Amino acid sequence: MPKWFQPAAIVCALMFAATPIVIANAPFQSTMGLVFKIFFYHMPSAWMFLLGGIVCGIASLRYLINGAARHDRTAFAAAELTVLFGLLTLVTGPLWARKTWGTWWVWDVRVTASLVSWMIAVAYLILRRYGGPGSEKLAAGLALFGMANVPFIYISVNYWRTIHPATSVVPTLPVSMGGPLWFCVASFLMLFILLFTMRVRLEEQRARLDAVYLSLDE
Amino acid sequence: MLSIFLWMNNVLTAIRRRAALLLVALLCWGVLPAVAAQQPPQEQPKKFDEYVPASQLPPTEQIPAVRLVVGAYSFVIVVVFLYMVSVARRLNTVQHEVARLEADVKRTGRS
Amino acid sequence: MWLILRKDLTVEVRSGEVAYTTLFFAVSCVLIFAFALVRDGRAPEDGAAGLLWIAIAFAGTLALGRTFERERQSETLRALLMAPTARPAVYLGKLLGIVALLAGVEVILVPLVALLFNANALLEHPAWLAAILIAGTVGFASVGTLFAAMLIRARSRDVLLPVLLYPVIVPVMIAAVRGTAVLLQPEVDTQVAWFWLALLATFDVVFVTLALWTFEPVMTD
Repeated sequence: MPKWFQPAAIVCALMFAATPIVIANAPFQSTMGLVFKIFFYHMPSAWMFLLGGIVCGIASLRYLINGAARHDRTAFAAAELTVLFGLLTLVTGPLWARKTWGTWWVWDVRVTASLVSWMIAVAYLILRRYGGPGSEKLAAGLALFGMANVPFIYISVNYWRTIHPATSVVPTLPVSMGGPLWFCVASFLMLFILLFTMRVRLEEQRARLDAVYLSLDE
Repeated sequence: MLSIFLWMNNVLTAIRRRAALLLVALLCWGVLPAVAAQQPPQEQPKKFDEYVPASQLPPTEQIPAVRLVVGAYSFVIVVVFLYMVSVARRLNTVQHEVARLEADVKRTGRS
Repeated sequence: MWLILRKDLTVEVRSGEVAYTTLFFAVSCVLIFAFALVRDGRAPEDGAAGLLWIAIAFAGTLALGRTFERERQSETLRALLMAPTARPAVYLGKLLGIVALLAGVEVILVPLVALLFNANALLEHPAWLAAILIAGTVGFASVGTLFAAMLIRARSRDVLLPVLLYPVIVPVMIAAVRGTAVLLQPEVDTQVAWFWLALLATFDVVFVTLALWTFEPVMTD
């Protein structure tokens, strides 16, 4: 593990420990009340979910183009993180929605598109796990198709009524609420980077293991 | 860096069960009653087009926000924690295996 | 490419295995839906469009699996890839074969669905319906053919194909079902129909191009 890992891990843990305090000090949102506090975890999770998806897609593209193994490792790690943060988003979302919209699930654009993208990421992991040898390239192809699909998912689902808050919610939040939000985003981003480093390291070690096995066979 | 993971493993075995149980209990307290208390809406319009804001729902339909918030936060923390444990453990296993094999190679290589 | 298509067609016409089994499967699907959903002689409204496309999706998955299974068993795919034809031509040949097969199935399926689900309006605008069917089928088959070809040498390929395919073709399904449902309305809103058709066509173009490009790197191992 790189030198910065341990101190960064400690900082990240501290930041996460501080989040409840920071969030509690954020002003009370008038219409939604207490349940709005979920937003401070839901939104950064969603951004990390998107980030993971983008990293996976780009890494898959590079892997398909030049076949370097490290791109494949990056893609695999990013896919796992995408599934993780997608799960967090898809669970905290309904918990928030139950109170604000009165229903656990709605078929609006962003929610449905997230669900479908998450399922593509899960399919990626299933393929890597059960596809047998040679599934790296197949998974890369899948990731690529998944990424290319996102605009289509959005447009096609768009005909359903949208009650998800519009993207402009962030700029219109009072400044005092922006602070805690960005703090949470920073914590999540740090968590993402740490988990990503750990995960890539796992892949590298696996590759090293394979290499040692191969050298033993000779 | 192996040491940090060995340390993590020991600490984990010691307090893992209690911590995990506590967090899962929090989670259950937060979410499961919320799910159980939900009754099918009686005169709700069929399509999701016309939703009724939660504050106008009959009192039986409302769930205390605190449970949802606590449930959400504990879920996030539990899941992230479990994932970290999973990666750490997998990394540990693989690194042990690599070390063992390389020691083997060295031994047989020398002899 | 035409050679491949012709080869597939000749094998098919001679044995008929994939065509007949797929067709029968699709018909059974629709019948099961009918038994499950039709109550008191009345079908759920708007059900016809969705059920038609579900049946097409399931039958298509089956057909894809069977077609490439046959390739795998006779190792013909490797021979094809080593042949001097351009790789993309192999893909296109396979794609057209699948589309032709599914088109044949749809010809039987549409009247059947219209009959069982009281959706006679389906047959009133044949041009629109044909356009949407073709665009949707090509969209489904474009991704399906690529994934099925990719999975030939993978383990668990039978169950992996739907697992990989279905999330990716969600937009196709949505657009196709919505487009077909529009045709079922008493007054067809042509603007909406155009929108869905255009979306399907764009999807087809984008994904066939993407598949053509990806076919090469993915099949080299």
